[in-house]
Amino acid sequence: MAKSLEQLVYDFFRGLPAYTTDMEDAVKAIIENFDQPLIKKKGAILTELAPPNKDFWFLCDGFLKEIYKNPFMNEDALFNFIPPASIFVNEDSLFYNKRPQHYYKAYTDVTIASLSNEKFQELKNKYPAIIKLYLSGTAEIQKNRRSRLLMLRMSNTQDKIDWVRDQRGDLYKIMDRVTLAQYIGVSRASLYRAFDKKGKSQF
Amino acid sequence: MSYDKDYDIIHEGLSQHVQLETSGDQEALRSLAKRFSVRTFKEGDSLWDLSTNSGQLHFILSGAFAEYLMDGRVSHLLRFYSKNGFAYSEDLILYSARPASYATCLVEARVASIPAGALAEYLMNEELGGKLLTSLIELSMTEYRNTTYEMLQTNGINRIHAAIQQFPDVLDLIPRKELADYLGISRASLFRSLKQIANG
Repeated sequence: MAKSLEQLVYDFFRGLPAYTTDMEDAVKAIIENFDQPLIKKKGAILTELAPPNKDFWFLCDGFLKEIYKNPFMNEDALFNFIPPASIFVNEDSLFYNKRPQHYYKAYTDVTIASLSNEKFQELKNKYPAIIKLYLSGTAEIQKNRRSRLLMLRMSNTQDKIDWVRDQRGDLYKIMDRVTLAQYIGVSRASLYRAFDKKGKSQF
Repeated sequence: MSYDKDYDIIHEGLSQHVQLETSGDQEALRSLAKRFSVRTFKEGDSLWDLSTNSGQLHFILSGAFAEYLMDGRVSHLLRFYSKNGFAYSEDLILYSARPASYATCLVEARVASIPAGALAEYLMNEELGGKLLTSLIELSMTEYRNTTYEMLQTNGINRIHAAIQQFPDVLDLIPRKELADYLGISRASLFRSLKQIANG
């Protein structure tokens, strides 16, 4: 049976390095203040995150593509691929009060829920532990970015594919080849050549 | 350059990342700026290394540094730090862990630094400290995001354009070998791409 929003959010916070049992009240308060989950169909753009939304969103189920306008290719391109049980936000709006340069598109059917920024600020004042959870959650995203950047700097396409398969098996199993090529920063032709050379398929 | 002018620059750098609400905030930030000490680095000098056990927050007044991340025994160029930017080991400052990266001076530099202990005292005891810590993490996340844009470009020319967009003086400051490593392309490919860019 699928886990409830409460259980998923609770597991998320308990998994953060900064989590300690005395933060339980703060986590419960966060869970209670989440809005009801929404379901979006595969291919839908999440218009709920249109500017100037500064809320915190939780992906309960399904996979999301984070897309940005690539100024050098004149087309929108994949920036990140987000698995279930992740928090996602409009970084430009939240950090810098700027119009967001990214948007989110459902790669599969997805279930999402939000914690409004206003509620977050209220809870932060009431439960100081929330700032530690926020910093810890942000630091985890930062570590993932650093790790992915190392993969992107690899000069060999096969090494990049191997990295995704070994380090992000959860994403590798579900991405189609076009998405995989974008995720590792190579052309589709390079990706296909790499698979052909090894004589192996993706799955 | 006078030290007073340095502190003004550090104060300005800090104030770009912390939301100041009162004149008291201004004063608190100015007193933090004065706790930085300035030193000069020559090419090849280390800003921090793998055995450093006490972190510092650095503000680059001039020059440039490269940060390398260890992956097993191999080091990869992770990012550059240049004028008017902050540099610090995330492992030391944010995670109280041994550094997984090291930073080396590429171009003679002047750097203002504050030890992690003094910074931690400020972060814990001053009202602005929490905001500064949050800002430093968000700043770092944004830098990774910007650098990721470069690496998502599938050809060398676009990667160079994206790097220039992030660091306008990257071609003047960064030696070509380091730039090729940073962009994940061969030196031959870098030279070909630069030639194509020069020829319009």
